[in-house]
Amino acid sequence: MTGRVLVTRLGHMVLVVLAVMTIAFFVLRLATGDPARLVNPPGTPENIIAQTRAQIGTDRSLPVQYLTYLGDAVRGDLGTSFRGAQSVGRTVMAALPNTLSLAGLAILFSAAIALVLGALAAWRPGGLFDRLVLGYAALAQATAPFWLAVMLILVFSLRLRMFPAIDMSSWRSFVLPVTTLVVALSPVLTRTARQSFLETLNEPYIKAARARGLPNWRVFAVHGVKSASMPIITLIGLQLGFLLAGAVVVEAIFNWPGIGKLILDSLASRDFPMIQGGILVAAVVFVVMNFVVDLLYTLLDPRVRAGQT
Amino acid sequence: MSDVVAAAAEQSAPKSTRAGRDVGRRILRSPLAMLGLVGTLLVLAAAVLAPWLSPHDPTSQNLAHILAPPIWAEGGTAEHLLGTDGLGRDVASRLLHGARNSLFVAVAAMLIGSGLGLVTGLVAGFFGGRVEALIMRLGDVQLAFPFILLAIAILGVVADRSALHLILVLGIPGWIIYARVVRSRVLAEREKEYVQAARAVGAGSWRRLFRYVFPSVWQVVPVIALLDVGFLIIMESTLAFLGLGLPPPSPTWGGILAEGRRNMVVSPWLPVLPGLAILVTVLSINLFGDGLAAVIDPRLRRGGMRRILPPSLTAASWHDPGTAARDESSPAWPVATGEGAPLLQVRDLRIDFPATESTVHAVRGIDFDLRRGETLGVVGESGSGKSVTATAILQLLDPPGRVSTGQILLDGEDLARASNRRMAQLRGRQLGMIFQNPAASLNPVLTIGYQMREALRQVTGCTRKEAAERSHRALLDVGIPDPARVARQYPFELSGGMNQRVMIAMALAASPRVLLADEPTTALDTTTQAQILRRLVDLTEEHEISLVLITHDIAVVAEYADTVMVLYAGEVCEYGPVRQVVDDPRHPYTRALLESVPRVETADERLVPIPGDLPDPRAQRTGCPFAARCPEVMDVCREVKPPRFDIGGRHDAACHLWAPDRVAGSKP
Repeated sequence: MTGRVLVTRLGHMVLVVLAVMTIAFFVLRLATGDPARLVNPPGTPENIIAQTRAQIGTDRSLPVQYLTYLGDAVRGDLGTSFRGAQSVGRTVMAALPNTLSLAGLAILFSAAIALVLGALAAWRPGGLFDRLVLGYAALAQATAPFWLAVMLILVFSLRLRMFPAIDMSSWRSFVLPVTTLVVALSPVLTRTARQSFLETLNEPYIKAARARGLPNWRVFAVHGVKSASMPIITLIGLQLGFLLAGAVVVEAIFNWPGIGKLILDSLASRDFPMIQGGILVAAVVFVVMNFVVDLLYTLLDPRVRAGQT
Repeated sequence: MSDVVAAAAEQSAPKSTRAGRDVGRRILRSPLAMLGLVGTLLVLAAAVLAPWLSPHDPTSQNLAHILAPPIWAEGGTAEHLLGTDGLGRDVASRLLHGARNSLFVAVAAMLIGSGLGLVTGLVAGFFGGRVEALIMRLGDVQLAFPFILLAIAILGVVADRSALHLILVLGIPGWIIYARVVRSRVLAEREKEYVQAARAVGAGSWRRLFRYVFPSVWQVVPVIALLDVGFLIIMESTLAFLGLGLPPPSPTWGGILAEGRRNMVVSPWLPVLPGLAILVTVLSINLFGDGLAAVIDPRLRRGGMRRILPPSLTAASWHDPGTAARDESSPAWPVATGEGAPLLQVRDLRIDFPATESTVHAVRGIDFDLRRGETLGVVGESGSGKSVTATAILQLLDPPGRVSTGQILLDGEDLARASNRRMAQLRGRQLGMIFQNPAASLNPVLTIGYQMREALRQVTGCTRKEAAERSHRALLDVGIPDPARVARQYPFELSGGMNQRVMIAMALAASPRVLLADEPTTALDTTTQAQILRRLVDLTEEHEISLVLITHDIAVVAEYADTVMVLYAGEVCEYGPVRQVVDDPRHPYTRALLESVPRVETADERLVPIPGDLPDPRAQRTGCPFAARCPEVMDVCREVKPPRFDIGGRHDAACHLWAPDRVAGSKP
């Protein structure tokens, strides 16, 4: 990636984040009534509401509020929660690692599973294992992640008492949420991995590698995997949005103290600064991960690295 | 948010149009697609008929009768087939109405997304230019946009959430999937002749759009729409589960599950049932969608790539060479054994590429020897079977190709019957091969050095350091001045000539006993060609490697080979020591080949082409394959296949001109 490409990319990333901030801000303000009214219980006297309004700054005009919000955000100030006086920035940043660890583990495991299953399925297309893998992909794709999460809790927490159902305490807490996300993420990745293995195996260089005396497994594991993993990486980038949705669901179900749960809770309490803060940080994570995926792609493919394609 | 569908659609979007007439018939023949269709229709029927099928009002509560178990559990009654929920509502009725709501929202959202996508895709594809650029750029932006976050925010705060909000939020982001696919179809369709012809007679662009392009594009959309609906059902249920779906008391699968979860300790079936409903619905829709995609474009059928790795060869799939129909007229080449036996003896080798329609007989019973240390030149035009023979020796034929009869004896060991494991041991160590296209034969994402060391360590079992040293030496040997730098480079960074040298170095580094070089210098200019070939031949002599040099250029063979075999349409025409064959060619085809070489000494650079074409490789053959093009053809040539008549001095020609009785009879 040349310097110029990098600058353009960064510019795009900033634009996307800015767009998310803007849309979120106006949707929240326009789709709902007066936040001061929402924060207070119904029937609160008008003077108290006006007081709240002045307190949270919604007495000013919308453009002024928007510009203030942007200006503060640039300086790293995401405002103060409507409820209580916690700093939004600090709360969101405290939740971020919990979401990242969940999503990161899910990506790692799904990619690994997709590569292994895809490779084994492509080893003998149409064979028993291939059919099993395709069957798994079809079933997993038709499974609603939230249902799977509840089923896992039902079986492994309530019945077998193997893993905790809620909260983040030890590594055991990760098992069920990560499993849920992996099952949601892996079918499309697996099918793509299988397909790209099949295509890679048709390449002349695979035959040439076998002619050089490399055993099939090695041709497969080294030459196949490196080429076949590229479409997977692209696809992971495309799946980030889906992963984000999955994270929200999983965090809600497992009471996971991450960004998704924070946004959901704040939505319920109409805590606008907190919702905006959560969405902003999630959007930043989203574009950064997309960028990382592109970088990884570049690292893996020397042709892209040299700017050939 | 519909990225999953986007990815799935890209995998299953049909790429070629087919007449839709037999779609129904072919769906009927695919059990999985049928299952999907039946399941989809059942769910659809349940959704449409829910008000009439439901035994109870899905919202009527009966607090006296809460958490009743389903009929199969203890205490279950026929009154509530699937029991009741925490408010005493009938679960079966709620699930039926849930199907109705889920399907309604998903289908409506799909219609909005597909409608938008169809229009934008058609417009982008048909008008092109700035309009297209703008639309596609918008799509890119959307895919890089965390839409789900905004969807959750919008649905979470909107004052009075309704079905319409849900449908719009779910539906609108889907447009890009449809737009992309439709656009690419339009682009392909636009180029087709009939649209061009219509333009010539002056049909207006909108008329063209609908008259010609729309029907073909229309085929693509249902498959994507089906997969999209499956995805949307899951998304709708997810939102409902989070409390962001249809407002209560409307029953939704996600909502039923969320409520059931609160009572799951007492009534575990409550959260189980709606999830199963989603699973069955989405699975059915996906199976049907995949089946439809496969029918519309058979190339996408799952398992249709079966041909990549050959099935392991079993003894049963072999004809016994002893009993196989060998040409009676052809004198059998006996297999030599003992001290002076040739290194490689190929006997009655036949290679077929079976297909459903008809089998291609690429090689039709050839015999030849490769003696220790010699260079055997194999000459023939494309389709003569020379490359296929080489790949068969390594047992690396592209499926469905297979050796159907014959023996390939390397030091007495029959490679045609060797196990995959044994072949893997022999490749690299005993048998090396240089492929035609060097750039494609090197892995583009691994460095030259890595690929060389990897092969060397595998074959010789040496250490990493030794492998590095040996590959440096091998690269130096083929005339690469700075091996250390080249080893760090990737194939795409090297010129064709350099890649060719690398391939040769790789093949030689492990010192195989037999090296098969298939057109090792085709892609190069004449000077480099001569350099590399000279180097190759010298190195094989130095390392005592027996070389099979495959080429279409008989001049190359004349220059570098010891023995020559001329192949034509899968059969041997002439075989013998190179000087004898070149100076005194007996087969008319060999003569024609030699005449087609531009002669520098006579300053006559005209190529003399051989008139006519190769015979059909699928046809059963009687007589001589060259008969149709032979200037000296006789009646017998069309009826009787000529055996390889001995000329003397290891030289033979498969031509009736050299039949002993004829030769004897024509003597004065």
